[in-house]
Amino acid sequence: MDPAMKQLLLHLDETNALGKKFIIQDLDETHLFLASDIIDSLQNRIDDFVDKINFPVAGN
Amino acid sequence: MFAFMIDLVLHKNPPAEERKSKKSKYSADVDPGYTEDSLDVPDADVDIPGSASKQVSEEITGEDEFGARDLRNILSLKADHSSRPLWVAPDGHVFLESFSPVYKHAHDFLIAIAEPVSRPEHIHEYRLTAYSLYAAVSVGLQTNDIIEYMKRLSKTTIHPGIEEFIKLCTLSYGKVKLVLKHNTYYVESMFPDVLQKLLKDPVIQECRLREDVDMGDMSVAGDGLLHSQMTSKQALQVNRPSDASGSSAVPGANTTGNNETGTTTSAIPDDINDFYEKMDKEDEDEELETVSFEIQQEKLEDLQKRCIELDYPLLAEYDFKNDTLNPNVAIDLMPNTVLRPYQEKSLRKMFGNGRARSGIIVLPCGAGKTLVGVTAACTIKKRCLVLCTSGVAVEQWRSQFKMWSTADDSIICRFTSDAKDKPMEVQFIPAKMFRRVLSVVQSHTKLGLTATLVREDDKITDLNFLIGPKLYEANWLELQKANYIAKVQCAEVWCPMTPEFYHEYLNTRTMKKLLLYVNNPNKFRACQFLVRFHERRNDKIIVFSDNVFALKTYAIKMGKPYIYGPTTQTERMHVLENFQHNPKVNTIFVSKVADNSFDLPEANVLIQISSHGGSRRQEAQRLGRILRAKKGAVAEEYNAFFYSLVSQDTMEMHYATKRQRFLVDQGYSYKVITKLAGMGEEDLAFSTKEEQAQLLQKVIAANETEAEEEKLAGELARPGSQIQRKQGSMSSMSGADDTVYMEYSRSRSKGYQHPLFRRLKR
Repeated sequence: MDPAMKQLLLHLDETNALGKKFIIQDLDETHLFLASDIIDSLQNRIDDFVDKINFPVAGN
Repeated sequence: MFAFMIDLVLHKNPPAEERKSKKSKYSADVDPGYTEDSLDVPDADVDIPGSASKQVSEEITGEDEFGARDLRNILSLKADHSSRPLWVAPDGHVFLESFSPVYKHAHDFLIAIAEPVSRPEHIHEYRLTAYSLYAAVSVGLQTNDIIEYMKRLSKTTIHPGIEEFIKLCTLSYGKVKLVLKHNTYYVESMFPDVLQKLLKDPVIQECRLREDVDMGDMSVAGDGLLHSQMTSKQALQVNRPSDASGSSAVPGANTTGNNETGTTTSAIPDDINDFYEKMDKEDEDEELETVSFEIQQEKLEDLQKRCIELDYPLLAEYDFKNDTLNPNVAIDLMPNTVLRPYQEKSLRKMFGNGRARSGIIVLPCGAGKTLVGVTAACTIKKRCLVLCTSGVAVEQWRSQFKMWSTADDSIICRFTSDAKDKPMEVQFIPAKMFRRVLSVVQSHTKLGLTATLVREDDKITDLNFLIGPKLYEANWLELQKANYIAKVQCAEVWCPMTPEFYHEYLNTRTMKKLLLYVNNPNKFRACQFLVRFHERRNDKIIVFSDNVFALKTYAIKMGKPYIYGPTTQTERMHVLENFQHNPKVNTIFVSKVADNSFDLPEANVLIQISSHGGSRRQEAQRLGRILRAKKGAVAEEYNAFFYSLVSQDTMEMHYATKRQRFLVDQGYSYKVITKLAGMGEEDLAFSTKEEQAQLLQKVIAANETEAEEEKLAGELARPGSQIQRKQGSMSSMSGADDTVYMEYSRSRSKGYQHPLFRRLKR
């Protein structure tokens, strides 16, 4: 996990974006300890985020 | 300035009653740009022939899950398909293999009949549209020739729908011409039946001037029409290089296959070769029978309107050689002025039949649009009005006229806010008043010169009927290969956000997000590293920042001169002169004022640290700053560099890709650099957390307004222009602002996504 991704997760955690807190422990610059039950919804959330900052080159 | 549209209006016509039906304000829309030209949102009252809106009927024949279509039961592959270069899809898209031995033949043909969509290295995509076909007939191609040649070039049989579409679009277009000859307007056609058909219309009958005239080379026949001969002799006269062996002068052609043709001639099917020669020859002298009728000048506008309604739009041609009313102007090209092959080719399209056609020529920035304009003026030799988009462009054209032609200050006159010379023969006007000027001035021939006809919205093609069809469009990559424009390495440098900046970015909901990703310390360091790297190579570097806050932060921290809106004229001159001549000043920082307000000196490295939104045009124009090919700088693979610094994981990524589309379609590829080699060894600023924290504090303390776009002062400022630009046609043309993005993302999340990508996404 790069430092920016960690910030994104911290942000989602702080803002309760997934309806609850999911960070169990902040380990270091590039590691977080997360609750396993939110992994799916978290991945979807990150996909959406990545989609938003990437312009679809393929068109349509 | 080369990126700006220069609209060259050749030969101003004195009698004010002679009106063009043109709604002149549109002509500036050739390049609506992100500058002041896009103030007026085009109204919907442009007269456009009904058939112009036609499209190839799309009967999609079953898509598989990847969106591919099986056309095997519709089209059959020819036995010798490997030696033919085209795939013609039933939906009007045409794919050309650029490595084909007959590439040159096919390319010349396709560029005349279709719009280039994307031209990367190996496969070029074109699209047949009503407009492109209109352009094709207007430069003299005929329906049957188009279909026949396409059949020969295609690897497969042609879908009947395509054939029908070509017929539909070319049948009426280009058949009738409005010709100004002996100072009178004629409706002329090579097809007597078409004229007869038109004359049955009561409105057109009204416009016709019935008079028994004998014009020497014309004779009135029994059908009441004037019959005459037209020689389709090329009117363009250019100087040939003294060592006129074409080989050295035409490296452009060589790169694409000439040198191969010697060995692979056998691979070219005879029918293609024969036809190519035939098409080529049509350019040559030919006596054509034409019929025409004279029209009443005061009814010209009614006539043009009516012809469009009848689906026979009139092509404007100017028989300047036989114009005795308007005095000739004594300008010639300098004896040592030599045109590049592609410049000549574009002009040949304009003067193909001995007359001057109105139309648009598309050439990349730095490829010599000015010389094309000057040559056109010197060919017609009548009074000429040049409309430019900025005062700098005006100066540029003036000096180029003096350099390439025999025109001197006594016959050139400028109209700018600074210089008001007495009106003489050749006049320059800044484009502020494009539309207004064109509505007052009646011109015989209009030539639009632009670098970027971005086709984001179909409106732009309406220009075909307003200025004229597109006569020529150059292929950037080919000019680059032939060393006419610099070989540019485009790179997108990904700069990771520092955790602190990213944290703040995620928690910011306002425009200040922009300040955070632009001032990202890692971006600063990448910029500093690149500047140092290129300074050591003795390169000249221009750093662009649309955001003034970042511009100052970067420039002051690095101790480099910078220019933005409020910089005084004297200071600008001082900085620019030093940049040009002082070997100690190799880097300057400029804001977006540099896009419009002054002529940047030559540079070969361009670094973009902030750019507003996703304007493809701005991207292309900025690239134009480094495209002028350097003499003698051919040793390396690339001789110019274009870096876009992008903060990773932010909206900047989105904009960057969006901006790049135009250049990608021209065949440029952006190299993505995630890590700059050697950056670790440099002693760069903001290396400590403390320094970074200080910068962050400064950014957080910055006023909200600092994130806004720079308001341009001086000649560009007009009441309401900012607002207009944000909400009006600029966004629709360039997709440069958030509004467009918002709409896009909404439609995208729910709308169509290519099956291939749907699948790939987990």
